[in-house]
Amino acid sequence: MVWPFTLEFRRRWYLRRVPPGPLADYLAAPFPDPATNYRQVDFLAVDLETTGLDSKKDHILSFGYLNLHGDHLDLASARHRLVHTKQAIPEASAVIHQITDDQAATGAPLEDVLTEFLIALKGKVLLAHHSLIEEAFIDLACRRLFGGPLLAPIVDTQAIALRHFQQRQIPFKGKDLRLHALGARYNLPRYGAHNALSDALAAGELFLAQAAHRDAGQGVPLREFLV
Amino acid sequence: MDVELLEIRDFLANYHPFALLPAGVLDRLPQKLKVRYFRRGVDFPPKNPDQPYLYILRRGAVELCNPSGDLVSKLAEGDLCAMDCQAAELGLKFTGTTVEDTLCYLLPCVELTRLRDEYPDFAAFFDHSQRDRLRKALNLVQTDQITSGGNLLTVNIRDFVTGRKVISIPPEASIREAARIMTESRVSSIFIMEGERLAGLVTDRDLRSRCIAAGLSFEEPVSHIMTANLHTIASGTLAFHALITMTRLNVHHLPVLEDGKVIGMLSTSDLVRFQSANSVYMVGDIRKARDLEALVALSSKITDLQVHLVQSGATTDQVGQAVSAVTDVITTRLLEMAEAELGPPPVPYAWMTAGSQARREQSSHSDQDNALLIADHMKPEDDVYFAALARYVNDGLNACGYVYCPGEVMASNPKWRQPLRIWRKYFNTWIEKPEPLALMHSSIFFDMRPIHDPAGMAEELQEYILDLCRANRIFIAYMVANALKHRPPLGFFRNFVLISGGEHDNTLDIKHRGIVPIIDLARVYALSTGQPAVNTLERLAQAAKSKAVSQEGADNLTDAFEFIGALRLRHQAEQLRQGRPADNYLSPDSLSRLERGHLKDAFGVINSLQDTLEQRYQAGRFG
Repeated sequence: MVWPFTLEFRRRWYLRRVPPGPLADYLAAPFPDPATNYRQVDFLAVDLETTGLDSKKDHILSFGYLNLHGDHLDLASARHRLVHTKQAIPEASAVIHQITDDQAATGAPLEDVLTEFLIALKGKVLLAHHSLIEEAFIDLACRRLFGGPLLAPIVDTQAIALRHFQQRQIPFKGKDLRLHALGARYNLPRYGAHNALSDALAAGELFLAQAAHRDAGQGVPLREFLV
Repeated sequence: MDVELLEIRDFLANYHPFALLPAGVLDRLPQKLKVRYFRRGVDFPPKNPDQPYLYILRRGAVELCNPSGDLVSKLAEGDLCAMDCQAAELGLKFTGTTVEDTLCYLLPCVELTRLRDEYPDFAAFFDHSQRDRLRKALNLVQTDQITSGGNLLTVNIRDFVTGRKVISIPPEASIREAARIMTESRVSSIFIMEGERLAGLVTDRDLRSRCIAAGLSFEEPVSHIMTANLHTIASGTLAFHALITMTRLNVHHLPVLEDGKVIGMLSTSDLVRFQSANSVYMVGDIRKARDLEALVALSSKITDLQVHLVQSGATTDQVGQAVSAVTDVITTRLLEMAEAELGPPPVPYAWMTAGSQARREQSSHSDQDNALLIADHMKPEDDVYFAALARYVNDGLNACGYVYCPGEVMASNPKWRQPLRIWRKYFNTWIEKPEPLALMHSSIFFDMRPIHDPAGMAEELQEYILDLCRANRIFIAYMVANALKHRPPLGFFRNFVLISGGEHDNTLDIKHRGIVPIIDLARVYALSTGQPAVNTLERLAQAAKSKAVSQEGADNLTDAFEFIGALRLRHQAEQLRQGRPADNYLSPDSLSRLERGHLKDAFGVINSLQDTLEQRYQAGRFG
């Protein structure tokens, strides 16, 4: 039996309640079993660019994601999608993600981009760095457009790093938990461009490194990485 | 392509061989990749992948060892590990370990095969034959340097003489008749032909000095004033080689033969039209130099000559030949000047040059190595004369930029100024009781060539030496051991030179780690089979004929020698252009990825032939 309030329980519960559509299709696939060795698990490394940090006021500008299967990233699956928005992009965020109003105007409607994203995420673990932002924005978009919440098993590379620092009693500052700072710790390349796909790629690589260092040769159950 | 994989595309585009792919192909390449991460200290490439891959290192470092556990290579950013794709081609399996945390891009071998099939330039990188790769590299280095237009290196001398009439006369014709034909045909020389056979040559100068000035009757047969025993040259020869030959022989005319038949006359003026700053001019001026001061002024131009030759695309061999030819003439002129000052020698002597000049591989302003061979009937008091002669020439050479030999291998050193019988004794000792110092001397004096030897003593000595060597296998085994002392590096690791044992050097001593090992190998081949050649490329050619080394081995070494030499010359030309003294130390970051790859191939060639030699002689010693 499935225990109430577990993720799997909630998936089934919402599967029966959300209206037919992309979200219902997404929820139809079971989530990976937390007991599975991560090497056999499919992840989707994700990053969003947004106009700000508040999911209620701000908008999603772009999605970047790619498949991570166990011990490798698959660049063939890499996608970068701009979201059409009529709202002016605040200068402060445009400086970071370098998406201009003109570019944003060429994007696709959020509904299309989100549909494509849910197809990519189906049956996988969502992987992001500081995943709260991604969760909040995507969850709200799902509720508004498809009538239900985003449900997904989640791995947050920042949370893994935080636990690692705490368990080993390694002193750290807030900036040590940033994606690039952690990448440097693991001898990862630093991508110059700051956009959703390169950050998704960097998060994916960071997870490969974290998992490789955790993995003593026998593999590690997925649950040890889950949020 | 999603533009965001651009960074991966740009990374690949920075590295050979991906840089050789068309832009469109490069754009689509990132999508075919997977990304994997390896902790430090794990097996690499990983065992049992889902399919075989080419591994492209993005970050980190990997050490590769051969089955006996010796480090053979160390990979860093941008390096490839194609072992799993080329297992069948290479035969040999290496084992690898990550020595840093390493991030790799993985390209499936099937994709690699597709790219190799479609893009030959790209494919060449993966050719398992170092030979083909080196040959291509050599062409690249040389065509890079060739500037444009008429070039002595691309023109056959046939091109100079075709369309010209062969002006000739039989030997029994009169001198007057020869002069008449020359005047009518407006030529400065005439062939003397016995039917189809070339019997000799008469030039304007011969008419003047051997006939008019000598008071000879114009009715005498022309054969009386002709030069017989002519040097000739084949029509297929490159103009550059003709230039070298003329410089060496100090002649201004060379009959050109095709299939044994005379097809025309090549004169220096034909070549001069092609190239202004050339060694023939210099040689002429050196011969005319009246005093040391004039010689010193002329020798300062050798550097220009070398730079000019490198720029016009001359090979290492050609540059070495040209520079050595000029040094020979300077030495000869110094000897003439010394004899003019000191009077004629009491007994005959031979002035010997050793080292790079002897091998005709000199580059401008290397130091001097020389010795004096004196006839056995010299009296003890005669040495005063020869000491003065040696001092004069050694000082003169030093003034001309050939600095004193730091090891005192010079004729002014009494030890190296001895009668023939003592020289024989020296070689006897070196060959029969090989010891380290002896071996050092051997390598200098086994590359020896007479510059001035009217009595032909040098040839006698050389025959004696070769007979002695051939018969003495132990000596050869020692020479082999000596030749194996300078091992080439394994390759490069980041901006370091990787040396066996895993150590790193900041600079590459291209002379001792690249050129000297080949010279040493060639010398062993020559001595072990009694071949008289001294020039490294000639030795290699002879070695292949006498089976001292396989044809492929000789060809590979020849290419490696040329390639390394070309890099060295380019390095030195650059230094000289900047007004700095030339040296042999290359910094790895001055080399392109491509050049590093080819240098590694060249090192590989040297290494494998050193191994072959080692095995042969160790087996021989115990067998």
